[in-house]
Amino acid sequence: MSIVRSKNRNLIYPGLLWFFVFFLLPLSVILIYALTTRTLFSGEPVKFTFENFIVIFQKKHYLTILLRSLKISFLTTVFSIIFSYPVAFFLAKRTRFDKVLIVVLMIPFWINYLIRTFAWKLILSENGVLNQFLLWIRVIDEPLRILYSQTSVLLGLIYTFTPMMVLPLYASLLRIDDSLIEASLDLGASRARSFFDVTFKLSLTGIFAGTLLVFIPALGSFAIPAILGGTDSVMIGNIIENQFSKVGDWNFGSAFTITLAVLSIALVLLYSKIFGLESIYKNRGTL
Amino acid sequence: MKNKKPVLLIIYTTLFFLYIFVPIILIFIFAWNSGEGYSFPLEGFTWRWFTELFSDQLARKAIGNSAVIAVSSATISTVLAVFLSIGLLKGLARRPGVFLVLLILPVLMPSLTIGISALVFFRTINIPLGIPIVILSHVSISMSYVFLILMGRIEELPLNLQEASVDLGASWFASVRDIVIPFLIPAAVAGWLFAFMISWNDFIITYFLVGSNLTLPVYIFSQLRFGLSPKVNVISVLITLFTLSMIAILLLSRKIYGKILMKVKT
Repeated sequence: MSIVRSKNRNLIYPGLLWFFVFFLLPLSVILIYALTTRTLFSGEPVKFTFENFIVIFQKKHYLTILLRSLKISFLTTVFSIIFSYPVAFFLAKRTRFDKVLIVVLMIPFWINYLIRTFAWKLILSENGVLNQFLLWIRVIDEPLRILYSQTSVLLGLIYTFTPMMVLPLYASLLRIDDSLIEASLDLGASRARSFFDVTFKLSLTGIFAGTLLVFIPALGSFAIPAILGGTDSVMIGNIIENQFSKVGDWNFGSAFTITLAVLSIALVLLYSKIFGLESIYKNRGTL
Repeated sequence: MKNKKPVLLIIYTTLFFLYIFVPIILIFIFAWNSGEGYSFPLEGFTWRWFTELFSDQLARKAIGNSAVIAVSSATISTVLAVFLSIGLLKGLARRPGVFLVLLILPVLMPSLTIGISALVFFRTINIPLGIPIVILSHVSISMSYVFLILMGRIEELPLNLQEASVDLGASWFASVRDIVIPFLIPAAVAGWLFAFMISWNDFIITYFLVGSNLTLPVYIFSQLRFGLSPKVNVISVLITLFTLSMIAILLLSRKIYGKILMKVKT
């Protein structure tokens, strides 16, 4: 390695130091909290225990919330794939205005999601826009009670995170060589067969990259269920927030946080196992 | 294959864009509606909510804090990420390794995890919460995002030019300043804006770390809990206009920079 390159190499240290001190170190600190009881830093000897994790998986209350969060995030991901696939396909393969449309699609993404969630409150509330519209066209006689339920949380999450699915899907579809699709048609495949065997399979990287971008933040969300949800739609994020801002049991709260982190890291590792890590960088979308 | 008009796809895409934009349009409409409630028919046109927002001390304070946090964290993270990429990129292109996995973690981990771990960490070592802590934590995430954006310039990093300039007598510092950095500037500008927006929009991390201070998203959240004031709509209108102008600046700067590059080349 030349002198220039080894001098260049030294430039990584400020960033790396920052990363270790302000990202990895805090993570290890909550891991320690998660594995100990309340005696940490009180002078008494530290005891390691899996108690906090056992509570999460044994108490029905917490296990229900954990499973519910996984279910809601899973549904969010599935619907975001279904909603955005045709759009991503259209943008990548059937129009010349894709660049402009992508920029337009990014606009709401930059408006604070709290405000967008607030808009859903306007739409879904009992005398909200949706109910007024449905009453006006006489589809219903009484206003629907959608707000403060799992449905409204799901609607809010899908709305917030679907744009994140469009970008990687679009990027992966754009990379598919049209001649492959034409070749499959020339060789006698039906349009459906050609779509499922060629286009869809080649877009799987995009689907999975989008899944990371949708599933993980959905699993860790707490503001959307706090605004749109009711008692039946409490998610992991709300439990964690409650532990730190009201209950004050840091050890248990840390264990829940670590569980959340492990679930998301597992997903990332699965992804890199299947598709390789470079593809995350390639599927960044337009930016 | 492309000569047939995909009517169904066009209809679907139009509906999709409507779905994405209708909530935002609604917010805009109610920012100028004179009634307190949120129901049709509209009652009348007013600037009242704008004046009420501007005379709201808390809101102005929150906007100021958000701007300070966003500008400082974007600047620090861009500088760190530019350094990181100069040091790492060429090697990474050949063998992406454990660094990539590590550096991408802040992007892929729920911000809740990052916020909570920072809260516990700083409280444990007895550093009071507040705006500096928020800036620190925002840098930890946005550094990874900016780095990700800089990766896009990976192939173009002119290391040969840099080496040549050093061979011809330039100092290493000058070679970085005059040759490598200029190549990274368009990506760095995009990265800075991205980092700014991440910080500006972030609610979860800020909520846990900001202590008794307010930022704009935290202010909005508290307003949402108290009930719906149309002031929040005015904030949305202003943020949208701000966002649009940021996007316009980004696109323009790319265009202008591209033109300058073209001129230099010809």
